[in-house]
Amino acid sequence: MVPPQYYLVLAAAVFCIGVFGLLTRKNALLFLMSVELMLNAANINLVAFSYYWGNVTGQTFGLFTMALAAAEVAVGIGIILVLYRNFKDVDVTEAATMRW
Amino acid sequence: MAGIFDFAPAIVLLPFLSFLIAVGTALSGRDLLPKGGAIPGIAATGGSLVLSVAMAAAVAGGEVYDETIYAWAAGAVPGSEGLELTFGVLIDPLSAMMLVIVTLIALLVHVFSLGYMNDDGQTGLPRYYAGLGLFTASMLGFVVADNLLMAFMFFELVGLCSYLLIGFHFREPGPPSAAKKAFLVTRFGDYFFLVGVVAVFATFGTAQFVGTESAPGFPVLAEQALHGEFTANTFLGLGPQAWFTVVGLLVLGGVIGKSAQFPLHTWLPDAMEGPTPVSALIHAATMVAAGVYLVARMYGFYAVSPTALGVIALVGGFTALFAGTMGVVKRELKQVLAYSTISQYGYMMLALGAGGYVAATFHLLTHAFFKALLFLGAGSVILAMHHNENMWDMGGLKDKMPVTYYSFLAGSLALAGIFPFAGFWSKDEILFETLVHGLGGSPLLLLGYAFGLLAVPVTAFYTFRMVYLTFHGEPRTEQAESPEPVRWNVKGPLAVLGVLATVAGAVNLAPVAVLTGAHVDFLHSWLDGGFSALTVHHYEEIDPYASAYLGGEVTTVLLGAAVSLGLALLGLGLAYRLYAVPEPVEHTDKLGSVKGLLYDNYYQDEYQVYLANRVVLPLARAADTFDQGVIDGAVNAVSSVSLFSGSRIRRIQTGVVSNYAALVTLGLTALLVVFGVLGGWLL
Amino acid sequence: MIIEALIGVTFLAALVVMLAPDEYAGKLAFALSLLPVAGSLWMWAGFDAGGNALMAGSIAYQTQLDWLTVAGYDLQWFVGVDGISLPLVVLSTVLSSLAIVSAWTPIDTRQSQFYGLMLFMEANLLGVFTALDFFLWFVFWEAVLVPMYFLIGVWGGPRRKYAAIKFFVYTNIASLVMFIGFMALVFNLPVSSFGLPEITQALQAGKLSGFVGLDPATLKLAAFTAMFAGFAVKVPIVPFHTWLPDAHVEAPTPVSVMLAGVLLKMGTYALLRFNFTMLPDVATRPLVATVIAAVAVVSVIYGAMLALAQQDLKRIVAYSSVSSMGYVILGLIAYTGLGIGGATFQMVAHGLISGLMFMAVGVIYNVTHTRMVGDMSGMADRMPVTVGILVAGAFGYMGLPLMAGFAAEYFIFQGAFASTVIPSAPLFTAASMFGIVIVAGYLLFAMQRTLFGEFSLETDYEVRRAHFHDVAPLAVLLLCTIALGVAPNIFFEMITDAIEPVVAVVGGGA
Repeated sequence: MVPPQYYLVLAAAVFCIGVFGLLTRKNALLFLMSVELMLNAANINLVAFSYYWGNVTGQTFGLFTMALAAAEVAVGIGIILVLYRNFKDVDVTEAATMRW
Repeated sequence: MAGIFDFAPAIVLLPFLSFLIAVGTALSGRDLLPKGGAIPGIAATGGSLVLSVAMAAAVAGGEVYDETIYAWAAGAVPGSEGLELTFGVLIDPLSAMMLVIVTLIALLVHVFSLGYMNDDGQTGLPRYYAGLGLFTASMLGFVVADNLLMAFMFFELVGLCSYLLIGFHFREPGPPSAAKKAFLVTRFGDYFFLVGVVAVFATFGTAQFVGTESAPGFPVLAEQALHGEFTANTFLGLGPQAWFTVVGLLVLGGVIGKSAQFPLHTWLPDAMEGPTPVSALIHAATMVAAGVYLVARMYGFYAVSPTALGVIALVGGFTALFAGTMGVVKRELKQVLAYSTISQYGYMMLALGAGGYVAATFHLLTHAFFKALLFLGAGSVILAMHHNENMWDMGGLKDKMPVTYYSFLAGSLALAGIFPFAGFWSKDEILFETLVHGLGGSPLLLLGYAFGLLAVPVTAFYTFRMVYLTFHGEPRTEQAESPEPVRWNVKGPLAVLGVLATVAGAVNLAPVAVLTGAHVDFLHSWLDGGFSALTVHHYEEIDPYASAYLGGEVTTVLLGAAVSLGLALLGLGLAYRLYAVPEPVEHTDKLGSVKGLLYDNYYQDEYQVYLANRVVLPLARAADTFDQGVIDGAVNAVSSVSLFSGSRIRRIQTGVVSNYAALVTLGLTALLVVFGVLGGWLL
Repeated sequence: MIIEALIGVTFLAALVVMLAPDEYAGKLAFALSLLPVAGSLWMWAGFDAGGNALMAGSIAYQTQLDWLTVAGYDLQWFVGVDGISLPLVVLSTVLSSLAIVSAWTPIDTRQSQFYGLMLFMEANLLGVFTALDFFLWFVFWEAVLVPMYFLIGVWGGPRRKYAAIKFFVYTNIASLVMFIGFMALVFNLPVSSFGLPEITQALQAGKLSGFVGLDPATLKLAAFTAMFAGFAVKVPIVPFHTWLPDAHVEAPTPVSVMLAGVLLKMGTYALLRFNFTMLPDVATRPLVATVIAAVAVVSVIYGAMLALAQQDLKRIVAYSSVSSMGYVILGLIAYTGLGIGGATFQMVAHGLISGLMFMAVGVIYNVTHTRMVGDMSGMADRMPVTVGILVAGAFGYMGLPLMAGFAAEYFIFQGAFASTVIPSAPLFTAASMFGIVIVAGYLLFAMQRTLFGEFSLETDYEVRRAHFHDVAPLAVLLLCTIALGVAPNIFFEMITDAIEPVVAVVGGGA
């Protein structure tokens, strides 16, 4: 059996890639993708520990998260569309009106 | 006759009823009652007079009455050891005498008001009669009060009535201002009085004047405390003697305010803004007497405190002279009378301070009659002169108003202390008592005697200056040429009081008693009856004074009477010399700057106004500035700081998603590092 | 059940009036507000409790039901009245009714909401004065602020937003401080509920344990200070008073009446219930007693001096409230039957008289549209009855005997003078008593300048007499004031009965 450390390292790596994308990209679509990566990093952890403990709860939550991610993408794409309609761009740093 | 005392509360309640009727009439706004509501007032005071005379008759029969009739807040305080706040009625020789005085003068003033107010076509009469009714009720309540708290409460209520009646003509600028001043100045005195009432309760656990055998009143308790028979609670680390003096002086504050003694006398001359009958009733005969009456009422308490007595005597003597000198230069009839009133109450205070309890009471009685007479006479003149009060515009009224003139003359002779009018006897007795007690080892009283003696010619001078200017000589204005005639309702009260002012001295012919040995000092015997702790001989036992005579007693009596009568005649003669001429001139102008000083009342009003306007008001404004600037400033500063820091800190919210993401990441990292360090995973 | 009925009916009335049309919301609100008046008077007539509700006395009209259990503490619906709270209940209902009538003339927008909020506030006030469970009490206590905030903020004067926010934030922060102080006590007591009697009795049995290094005595002192500071804002005591004049000046007349008449009494009521009943051993420490007595004297004199400097009639009355509430504090700290009894009586008396004064000033304002002393004179000429009542009320405020204010102040002075708790009690008492001179000063000056003299007021309309329904509440209040002054035992007997155990704890006398 593959020890859980490997999964954790993989998840951490995927998560870091996601964070990196979030911090460096301005494109809203890339943003969304980065968020998906981070979500899936968490999913990997859930599944890995579920497998490690022999408990299906984690896998169940993994499925939940996928469904959630799908919904999130739908909402996210919607937001991006609205963003584009309002700012004629999908650059997230342009849309800075939600402040003081 | 035991049953008669059951009607004692009715003496107070009858005028109160007339007050309620008058208020009802005033509220209705219609002319519901004939004579503007005067009739209920006359009926009520008449009824009270009848009852008072009945009380006096019962007292003459040797009966007295002291009953608690209403528990205001009695027994409401558990474990308070009898701190009972009650209303009660005390009828003894002193209060019976005062009841008769007050009801009689109230009745006469009500009748006089028919002429002064109704016939003059004044408006707002129900309000006027309501004020008179409430005043009479409160004053009578004060007179019959059987404890100090009740006395204080009615003392304050008469102050309210005084305020309302002085300010009766509220549409003019003067009366409201005078009313305010009267209430405020007396309130200042009452502050001390209230502290005194509280202190008496705290000290003795009771404020009854008489009490019962087992629970005596506070004057008796004070006496017992000094003999070590009773333990009074004293405060502030003072011994009983010193503490009783403090309490006595506190109560005296109220007396000085109400009886218009120096330095709180300034309100009384201003109070002359009120209608003249009000001046006669309130500011001459009754309310102003309340202070003196209060001292007489609790004389047993003052008698055990030589210091308090000395203060009373000196304040009184000084006021007698001080106020008299101001009366010399006044131009207005009522002003002269006002200063004269202050001066005469000074005499009474002098007498009380000098151990002359009977003399003070006697002067209270005679003064009530002759000063009410003088005020009503002045009212009659003012009415005739169409409300011109300046004596320099009068003159020659003698022939046109004979009833007024002769009654006024009787009052003036009494005031000046000319034999055999009432004032002579009472004033002579005051001076005599002061002199013999002063000689008996209290040199301080000799100073008081000197003040009192000096005031005699002054009194006679200003009194007859007033008489000559008003009634003698030639008329100096058209109004004086053809004065408005007055009716029976003015003349009647004048005649009654004129007779009384002439003969009232007969109630206590003390000098005659000394000379002939006949028992003609009736008032002395009268006041020697009743509750044993409230009798004259008891007071003489406990007061700190001894008597000594120049030569013998007879010699002293004759000498004293001769000196005071001589001085009075001197003042009268001077007034005759200067003013009993067809065309008098203001001789007082020769006094030069002294006249200015006197006319401006020694700048007493100025310094009090200065205190109010230049000291208290700026202090209040400074407090306001402090409050708005510093205290409210601090409150607003807290909110400003919050708002300002908020406005700075919110700049973190840039609105750029990437920044938020960076912050979240940084925060997460920082959290991990902290946990790492704390958990020992790192380092 | 009568208390539930009282509170329930008032809430229901609030709801009904909210939904009623504006035209007759005022009349409807008045009619409905008579129900709690009748209820409270009925409670007064049938009152049979003895002793203090918090100290094992019997409680009248008590209901005690378990409601929730949170973290091992029972939260109860626990209401009832004793001799201290019943007079305040009666005061709240009577004053609310009269305030509603006094709103008929000045309130001309959103009437149904206004009257609804007034009734909502009344219901919560009744809750404050009857609740005997801390949690329940605190809910009502805080809920009073909400209608008040809107009443000032919506119907107020030009600076209403400032005043409303200041009022709300200030008193709310104070509540927080008080809440922390009280919770620090409760969590260190072996009690199973927030019932005030249980907490009081546990505290007095000395069952308080220490807390994070504080011994029980220090913890009590800290809690006392926190609660005192919290309630001091509500009372208000100098220097926490500055929200009051602002709130009064901006609030419409009926709201001022409620604010001065009842809301301030919440502070003193709570001080009496919490600080002075629960922690007498802290209050009677010489230093604490001296500080509180000094604060009371400063409130009296300083408040009166501030009133002297004001030109706005409402501000004058507002600052004089600060002064009058100083007397209450003095009476409370005296720890004598007359002192605390007088303080409680003063809560009622001041409620009536300050209500009367605010209403009378409001009636004049309805006509003149100005409250500045310099803008008018001789109002007595045009509004004789109103002015007559105002003058009577002003004299009541000055402590004229046979009116409620005198009785209350006299009891307080008498109680404080002989207090064994305040060091040098006679000096503190005498100093605070000087307030009766200053109060006469500013009221007489203001009256002379506005009411008397020749009539003058710059208006472009005819100045007419006030409506009957403007003057009637004034007359009712005046009569109540006189009745209480002539016969203080209407309330004073039950008050002293409830005070006695409090005083007995410290061994105070009369």
